[in-house]
Amino acid sequence: MNKQTAGALTPLSPSLQANVKAIQSRFGGSTDLVIRMFRSDAAPEREIAILYVDGIVDTGTINESVMEPLMSMRLPPHALVKGSKLLEALRSCVVSIGSVQDIHALEQALQYMTDGLCIILADGCPAALTADVNGGDQRNVSIPQTQTVIRGPQHAFVENLRTNISLVRRIIRSSDLHVQVHKLGQQTHTNVAVLYVNGIVDEGIVKEVYRRLAAIDLDGVLESGYIEEFIQDETFTLFPTLLNTERPDTVAAALLEGRVAVMVDGSPIALMAPTTFFSFFQSPEDYYQRFDIASFVRIIRYAAYVVSIVLPAVYIAVTTFHQEMLPTTLLISLAAQREGIPFPGLAEALLMELTFEVLREAGLRMPRAIGPAISIVGALVLGQSAVQAGIVSAGMVIVVSFTAISNFVMPEFNMAATSRIIRFLFTIMAGVFGFFGIFISVLFMLIHLVSLRSFGVPYMSPIAPGPAKQGLWRDAFIRLPWWAIVLRPMDLNLRNPKRQANGKRPPAQRHSSKP
Amino acid sequence: MKKWRLLLALLACLLTAGCWNRVELNDIAVISATGIDWKEGNWVLSYQVVIPQAISSQSAASSSAAVNVFSTKGQSFRSAVSKASQETSRRLYFSHTQIVIIGQEAARKGIGSLLDTYLRNHDSRETVSVYLSKGSARKMLEQLIPLEKIPGAAIQRMITNEEMNSSAFRQMTIHQVLMDLLGTTHATGIPGLVVSGTNESVDRAGQLTRTSTPSKVKLYDLGLIKGDKLVGWLNNEESQGAMWLADHVKKTTVPFACDENRSGQKNSSIRITHAKTKLRPELLNGNWIMHVEAGADGTLMEYNCEGDLSKPKQVAKIERLIEGEITAIVENGWKALRKNGADVIGFGSVIRQKYPKQWSKASDNWTELFAGTEVKVKVNVRLNSTGMSGSGFKQEQEKDG
Repeated sequence: MNKQTAGALTPLSPSLQANVKAIQSRFGGSTDLVIRMFRSDAAPEREIAILYVDGIVDTGTINESVMEPLMSMRLPPHALVKGSKLLEALRSCVVSIGSVQDIHALEQALQYMTDGLCIILADGCPAALTADVNGGDQRNVSIPQTQTVIRGPQHAFVENLRTNISLVRRIIRSSDLHVQVHKLGQQTHTNVAVLYVNGIVDEGIVKEVYRRLAAIDLDGVLESGYIEEFIQDETFTLFPTLLNTERPDTVAAALLEGRVAVMVDGSPIALMAPTTFFSFFQSPEDYYQRFDIASFVRIIRYAAYVVSIVLPAVYIAVTTFHQEMLPTTLLISLAAQREGIPFPGLAEALLMELTFEVLREAGLRMPRAIGPAISIVGALVLGQSAVQAGIVSAGMVIVVSFTAISNFVMPEFNMAATSRIIRFLFTIMAGVFGFFGIFISVLFMLIHLVSLRSFGVPYMSPIAPGPAKQGLWRDAFIRLPWWAIVLRPMDLNLRNPKRQANGKRPPAQRHSSKP
Repeated sequence: MKKWRLLLALLACLLTAGCWNRVELNDIAVISATGIDWKEGNWVLSYQVVIPQAISSQSAASSSAAVNVFSTKGQSFRSAVSKASQETSRRLYFSHTQIVIIGQEAARKGIGSLLDTYLRNHDSRETVSVYLSKGSARKMLEQLIPLEKIPGAAIQRMITNEEMNSSAFRQMTIHQVLMDLLGTTHATGIPGLVVSGTNESVDRAGQLTRTSTPSKVKLYDLGLIKGDKLVGWLNNEESQGAMWLADHVKKTTVPFACDENRSGQKNSSIRITHAKTKLRPELLNGNWIMHVEAGADGTLMEYNCEGDLSKPKQVAKIERLIEGEITAIVENGWKALRKNGADVIGFGSVIRQKYPKQWSKASDNWTELFAGTEVKVKVNVRLNSTGMSGSGFKQEQEKDG
């Protein structure tokens, strides 16, 4: 995986000057390369150099733990003899940093420097010391931006992989949480971490994740989305087969369910696999709120998803093919709205849907300062005026708005985005064939859904194929109380499929017993 | 790649298929009520077309009527309907028709062909309720009705209201009519409509701006259909009796007088909240006897007679009075039915259930046998409550004074 360093290595030369020159030329004279050369009191005849890339290291740490001890070091006399002994002595006696390593090749030195480490070179030694002084300006851990909850932890991942891993580690405090970091990207050398809980996870899936990651040969990995498209099972599908989240607690929960998480340095979004269709409807808050409320909200979510796919289609079908299905009074008020509308219902629906998509995209991309403007234009001009001008009917505006709002109920954005595209297909089919078209579309969608797999797990599990074990339903459409969810939710060959013992229902506390 | 090309071809097919039988909402004329008249050898069909703009609150131009009525003529129903396209801009849409009004002339001619049309076409629903009109059906359709925007729907709600609160008439849907006419006795009763009041018809929206209208559509008389033809009418009281006999009374109010021979003013009344009629046929010396056992529960609504209502004895006495009153209503209805010889109350089917063999002999000349049937009425009333006061206002006053 470490392709650059795995290739032909250039050994470091014993001459400090030559080494520094070589590094300088490899960086092409970049100005953020900092080279500090000095002589220490303890070994005045031996020149020492510290090299690091400015901005990605913590300068304070360098000053306190590297420069200062080096300047004022007292070394045992045998260390002053020539050769690599000096560096060894520096490592064991002087540099006061946790992570220090010996390296012998130029490419290694370059790699560590770009990773935010500092290199210590000494004259006469064909080797270098690295000291981990990683730092620099980073965004602080803050509240989640896209996956908000009312009750539950309020921190989200940041762009720093180390911080992100530490956030998960703080939740799962066990040595069974295994973290493997790989480098991906020929130019970016991005750290990609694979996390899983040993003893729960199906090792076949971990191996499969490694295999798919190893097959990636890209020049740069800037976001987990790059990786998602390489490791997902099916490219030509509208449905996501990998979960993503910016919440450490969601990742921890997924790991405990036996999933594997993939995190990418530079991205606050972690991927989780394998996944099923139903896990996209589970908000972390479902598990923090009381089970009855959580179940109710989850049912609402499923209903809203269906609404966000079929509502415009049903409206079109009913108003242009099956008018007899409407109550008379509703029919008459809808008919009154349609008087004088120039477009057929289908065209009207597509027009409004596209307008909404444009509005939404504009709302996302435009500079934040003109945010209120778009809502005024969108809501007032397009909604109200279009109705008053008789271009679209009021009923259609209501349908499109409700559809749009239903779409925002989804806790996972990528699943919500799916319904936006499917909705258009459904609407067109309804406009051409009425309810017949809708049912054909539903049929094809279901056939497609049951054909999907995510890392070998059937996408529609536990519905199709039916649950392999009793009790997998307990967390699919509703959530039973925690003591009832005995099994981890997937049809996997989990090493440890039970999350708790049976029969942990608390006894009814009838009266408060007096002490 | 090949797969994609195939998919593209399929997609193109989809669009060339066109939009099948798509009809926009503003391409249809929603008909709320249909009227059927027979005039000079032709069926005259009248349609009450809803004008959506006049109804919706958005463009509340209350000065215009919410419906438009027009008629077409033809030798058959569907030929008359098809002629409508010569005078309307939109396709007639029958699925939302609420009522069908059959003119007296048309009903005497026979409604068989109307029923056939309803059985054959999917857009004519069998849940439509049917009425007979004393005058022409078209005139009924032209009447505006206060409170409701669509007169067709108003009449439909009128019968539901009547059915639930006074039960002198019952809603007859096409389905129910078919069940009756294709059933054992081939007879049914259909409520009649009449325009009461002055001769001026309420067919302008402006007339509804006044506090009272010169005339009004009313439920009036029960038309008796035998075979498929109108054979006679029962008045409202007789119709009430027929409803008791046929066990169609849901809730009603029965007035009664204080004395047992029912001669005084009927100044007290009971609200029947629950009623049930059982028919038990009996064959005696070749004559049919029908035992009618009616049970009713009710609440006293007004009471202007003597007696202390806190005494069970007095309550039982009132119950007897009411029983006598209901018996009179039932017998009155029976008399009228016997005169017309139309078994709209289903004696025939009760007999058929109990005496299938004898019925197969009797069914041929059932009309005569029906008129000769002896009806023995037994009513059992239970007064559940005397209301919120005991003895009554007058007695209270006398007690104090």
